[in-house]
Amino acid sequence: MTYTKEERALLVLDSFGAEYAKKAKLMKLAAAPSELAENFGAYREAVAKITDEKTAARMERALAGEEYTEKLLHMYAEKRIECVTFFSAKYPELLRQISDPPFVLYCRGNTELLRERMFAIVGSRHTLPQIAKRTEEFARELSGKFVIVSGLADGGDTAAVSGALEGGRVISVLAYGFDHVYPGCNRALLEKVEEKGLAVSEYIPSEKPLPYHFPARNRIIAGLSEGVLVVSGGEKSGTRITAARAYEYGRDVFAFPYSIGVASGAGCNALIKEYAKLTENLVDIYAAFGINLTETEKIPLSDAERTVYEILLDGEAHVAQIAQKSGLKPHEVPIVLTMLEMKKLAVSCGGNRWAAVR
Amino acid sequence: MLSKVMSFALAGLDGIPVEVETDINNGLPSYELVGLADAAVRESRERVRSALKNSGRKFPAQKITVNLAPADLKKEGSWYDLPIAVGILKATGQLAGADTGNTVFLGELALDGSVRPVTGILPLLISAKARGFTRFILPAGNAEEAAYIEGLEIYAAGTLTQVADHLSGLARLTPLAVKKYEAAARGKYSSDLAFVKGQAVAKRALEVAVSGGHNLLLVGPPGAGKTMLAKCIPTIMPDMTFEEALEVTKIHSVAGILGEEGIVTLRPFRTPHHTATTVSLCGGGTRTVKPGEISLAHRGVLFLDELPEYHRSALEALRQPLEDGCITVTRAGGAVTYPANFMLCASMNPCPCGNYGSSDKVCTCTPAAIHKYRSRLSGPLLDRIDIQVEVDSVKYDDLVSDAAEESSEVVKKRVERTREIQRNRFAGMPKTATNADMGEREMQKFCRLSRECEDILRMSFEKLKLSARARARIIKVARTIADMETSEQILPAHILEAVSYRSYENFR
Repeated sequence: MTYTKEERALLVLDSFGAEYAKKAKLMKLAAAPSELAENFGAYREAVAKITDEKTAARMERALAGEEYTEKLLHMYAEKRIECVTFFSAKYPELLRQISDPPFVLYCRGNTELLRERMFAIVGSRHTLPQIAKRTEEFARELSGKFVIVSGLADGGDTAAVSGALEGGRVISVLAYGFDHVYPGCNRALLEKVEEKGLAVSEYIPSEKPLPYHFPARNRIIAGLSEGVLVVSGGEKSGTRITAARAYEYGRDVFAFPYSIGVASGAGCNALIKEYAKLTENLVDIYAAFGINLTETEKIPLSDAERTVYEILLDGEAHVAQIAQKSGLKPHEVPIVLTMLEMKKLAVSCGGNRWAAVR
Repeated sequence: MLSKVMSFALAGLDGIPVEVETDINNGLPSYELVGLADAAVRESRERVRSALKNSGRKFPAQKITVNLAPADLKKEGSWYDLPIAVGILKATGQLAGADTGNTVFLGELALDGSVRPVTGILPLLISAKARGFTRFILPAGNAEEAAYIEGLEIYAAGTLTQVADHLSGLARLTPLAVKKYEAAARGKYSSDLAFVKGQAVAKRALEVAVSGGHNLLLVGPPGAGKTMLAKCIPTIMPDMTFEEALEVTKIHSVAGILGEEGIVTLRPFRTPHHTATTVSLCGGGTRTVKPGEISLAHRGVLFLDELPEYHRSALEALRQPLEDGCITVTRAGGAVTYPANFMLCASMNPCPCGNYGSSDKVCTCTPAAIHKYRSRLSGPLLDRIDIQVEVDSVKYDDLVSDAAEESSEVVKKRVERTREIQRNRFAGMPKTATNADMGEREMQKFCRLSRECEDILRMSFEKLKLSARARARIIKVARTIADMETSEQILPAHILEAVSYRSYENFR
């Protein structure tokens, strides 16, 4: 991987890690990072003021020769990390437009995905199983038109990522460096994302998953995407931050509606009250982008399958109810449901209850 | 004077003949018992002395030596009291002219001279019969148990006096009449499927599982009726044959949990608590190797409630017996093999709080907590559970409805018919009794899939992301479902239904 002079200087400066606000001040000192690097002596005073004396001294030493830079780039290459900087052609245009764009995106996986249209699907850790299933279906379908952007948390994010993973059109934005994995139970999922899709972080590899990184990460999710779908989230969920940033950046916000008293969906309903579009099906999303839904190919259904599917269209139903309404024998219902599940028209919600997938 | 009397020792479920030799010599009064006797046997001296005295006989004030031969076999149990007492009577000439030649004596003595029942009589009798012994004197309390063996001359004695009088011909005891084995009459089980309201899916799964001898996992929230369903499993299993009943009785006899009936006629239903150790499940002990819960559940059901709560090591220990139908427990004293051919039925909650997937209650578990809870079960163990089905919470309307539910009797008739088909199919294959026992070879032979079925199976693997090891499971269950419909061929519907019994994989 080759980097321009500008990029090399930026990577060195970024490698000292700092909060975004400090980094931004640093970048404002000179016209370009290379300018700052080459005449570091002139800026040293100002740099020390922004960071501290020690960091400034270390930066000076690092910028004095090529050794540090080479070592750094070698380390990134060894860790299979590709750096997409603000100056790179690969840097997504939409992200460049936001008020606080990250200077470097540390990437692992297929960086070509950054050139495509992106759509974010986010959810909280408390996501109802049927919503998680539906989220997976949405992500799978939407990944045909967009690259799906999400986090890596349990629940909603996991569902979105695993739904889109099959086609490899998925980006996970992390709130920590590549030396870490959080949550630990999603280690395998992250590996798959890196292999098939793309994992992105604005942090150097050694950065830990600190609580304040997550809201900052959410701005990247919002910044990358043309729209954000919030599938779940309570009153205080982090998904509201993502939605708020997306709204601020002028992107479309979508949210699943919830019924009264469902704690894991109160945040979604609040978003709908403010600015989010109520989203029940894919048409609601496609319409906002002017994408015409091509007629989905008619899946041939047997009589029994059609009957059961129509019952499910009225809402979630228990196997016993389905048997009663359809006139099938109780043990015949699972046969039909399994067939519908294979045709991706029904999902099990647990407790022998099933719902239709539209 | 020297006397010899026959008795038996028990090693696992095997009886080994023991000769009780008694020698009485002049000298300082003493009582020496040799032949690797354990504490219970050595204490026999006091019981024998008092029993003899209180039966109006004499305990000689001489030097008494009792040898239990073979001398290198450990003797445990309390049934040597009677042979020792008889030996002393014989050696002191108090049983003039009695012939004890081929008679096997078993029994514990009380201080007042009465004969107390002992454990393990049935396996002893069966082994003794196989070794050519036909005449027995046993405690009256064991008569029920012993009466089921044909071709033996068994005398049940209540007191030592009766034994002595019988031997010396003063008052002959009458031999036990042979009892005919009769399978448990209907209604003996306290559960019945008719009492389970609703739950059509779970009931069907239960029937499929029992028909094909498949192991079963019930997943459902607390109070859904998982235990109640499990208790119904023995009620729809075919009646035990006499041979099966004897096998079970042997094990229960050794464990000392035999009821008053003398023979086990109902299929066992064992529910060890989830704190059970590996030893209590599989069998073991410091000196005697006792059968564990899995052997006590032989020919019946082992029900593990709240499966993930069991110790991991205890669960993993079940894998081998589930495969082989028996367990070999090795201790310093030797190795013992107990049969353990049981149907495993396990139950678990879908998540730690139990409400995952519930329609009206909120599950408070994080996905990580659910994942952790489920990962307590290992893949290899789950591989041996062919059918995994969800049991949902029962609605009040279902509970009070008068809708007629099928009784266990009706279901049992169907199960017996399905088992009959399997018996014919696997005739001449001693290791395979049910569809669940099939290995790769049998599956190739009996589970030919039509092209259509093959397509559906492939499609279900691709679309539903099943693990490769689920394949054999699904095919075996499909074979059973086909048998239930007396269909020679496995049809697509059978495959699809089998695919639907994999709710646990759904979670993953």
